[in-house]
Amino acid sequence: MLSRLGTMPLFWRIFLTQFAVLVVAFLLLVFAPVTVSIPVAATELVVLLCGMAALAGLGLMLLRPALRPLQTVTQTMRRIDPLAPGQRVPVVGEPSIAALAQAFNEMLQRLEDERRESARRALAVQEDERKRVARELHDEVGQVFTAIMLQLEHLAASIPPELRGELEELRETARIGATDVRRIAARLRPQVLDDLGLDSALTALASAHADQTGVIVDRTLESIALDAEQELVVYRVAQEALTNVARHAGASAVTLTFRREGRSVVLRVRDDGRGLPPGATRSSNGIRGMRERALLIGAALIVRNVEGGGTEVSLRLPPVEGR
Amino acid sequence: MASTRILVADDHPIVLAGLRRLLDAQSGYAVVAEATDGIEAVRATLAEPVDLAILDVSMPRKTGLQAARDITRRRPDTRVLMLSMHADGQYVYEALAVGASGYVLKTAIDRDLLDACRAALRGEPFLYPDAERALLRERLRRSEAGGDGDDDGAHEPLSPRELEVVKLIAEAYSNDEIAEQLVISKKTVERHRANILEKLGMRDRVELTRFAIRRGLVEP
Repeated sequence: MLSRLGTMPLFWRIFLTQFAVLVVAFLLLVFAPVTVSIPVAATELVVLLCGMAALAGLGLMLLRPALRPLQTVTQTMRRIDPLAPGQRVPVVGEPSIAALAQAFNEMLQRLEDERRESARRALAVQEDERKRVARELHDEVGQVFTAIMLQLEHLAASIPPELRGELEELRETARIGATDVRRIAARLRPQVLDDLGLDSALTALASAHADQTGVIVDRTLESIALDAEQELVVYRVAQEALTNVARHAGASAVTLTFRREGRSVVLRVRDDGRGLPPGATRSSNGIRGMRERALLIGAALIVRNVEGGGTEVSLRLPPVEGR
Repeated sequence: MASTRILVADDHPIVLAGLRRLLDAQSGYAVVAEATDGIEAVRATLAEPVDLAILDVSMPRKTGLQAARDITRRRPDTRVLMLSMHADGQYVYEALAVGASGYVLKTAIDRDLLDACRAALRGEPFLYPDAERALLRERLRRSEAGGDGDDDGAHEPLSPRELEVVKLIAEAYSNDEIAEQLVISKKTVERHRANILEKLGMRDRVELTRFAIRRGLVEP
């Protein structure tokens, strides 16, 4: 009886509960030695009040478990975090509540799918745009510098000696321009990633960080075959993490590791700097961007302060059979 | 003494103009031909022999490296210098493998170009200062990747001709156009295409384009 009650439609359950309460009240009135005088006597009032309280209690007892799954659904809905997909409401209880939970889960699934798809589109557009800008920088601006340098060299032969110094300066300026263009283009779109693969690209990131900040990056990199999308995500996460270290951490030691840990492949960027300010994991655009990218390939991204100061960013790729 | 005859090839007209002006101003040098892609460069050297060919590494239709291979094979007397934006061991390695005498970085072109020309004409190699280290790293990478660093052919499943076809396919030329540019029949192009896909175990042009990028045959 009780187990059947659990799966009874909510409508019938409420109806039957009320009906049961009314029947009890009816039976009490008919068969119990209660009378109600007019005007009501004090003792009668006490009996009536007790009876009413008992009936209300009965109703409460019968209805409450029926409605408890609704609370669970509500609580889960409150906890849903768009950046941590995969949470679902338990599908239990009577059919209409189970159906609600089921429908809610299906809606979550559709939203997550759509979100992942639009994030993928947005990032693809961004990557294409970066590639185009990098290419134009490299091809257009870079070649202009090449031409300027050729013209300077041409000029050097015929220039009066007293202007030689200035020409040298100009030449140096052009060289800095050419090198900057190359550096910026490489940052926008690492050609080395396409050409030589992920470990070379990560090595280049580490060297660039050392050049820029003067802090050597201690690196442990395994050569692991990933697909193109995963490689790009790993690269961009490492790039963003190192950028954050350079900008905010004030670190004196940085480690970059990319290796197998158990059955998964993990990227870690760790520093000994001043750590994250409270709330940064939520508010920082950079961290948000890393999370978005991680979602695309079903990887888990964790950004946390480590004991003894400093920050660690870890990206754990989903395990693949036979890797 | 007759002046040194030079061909310059770069797909950027502004660079081409700069090269011509600088080289023409040197006594004993004369730029006798210009090209804006690899196929033109090869044609020009075959039409009229030159002493020195200066080729940009990355050019459309046929890369500078592919053009260098053709030129050194068919005109062994021609010295070849590569120009490049890439300070990268892989490119330097390939440049030397196809018979180029030198590799000049475009970010140091003012300082290095004339030295490199003189070295090449004397028959000496010229590399940018950091190239040897890059080359060594590349050697190590290759020997790690394929066991034996010496033997290029063992790891390269495609013939030079097939690599030329790959580049043109990746640049979205049709079979007819490829046949015309490489001066071979359309049937041959189709056979090359089928062989290439089979050797690489690939299905379509998208995969082939990715391979071409990795191999530095086309710019991404």
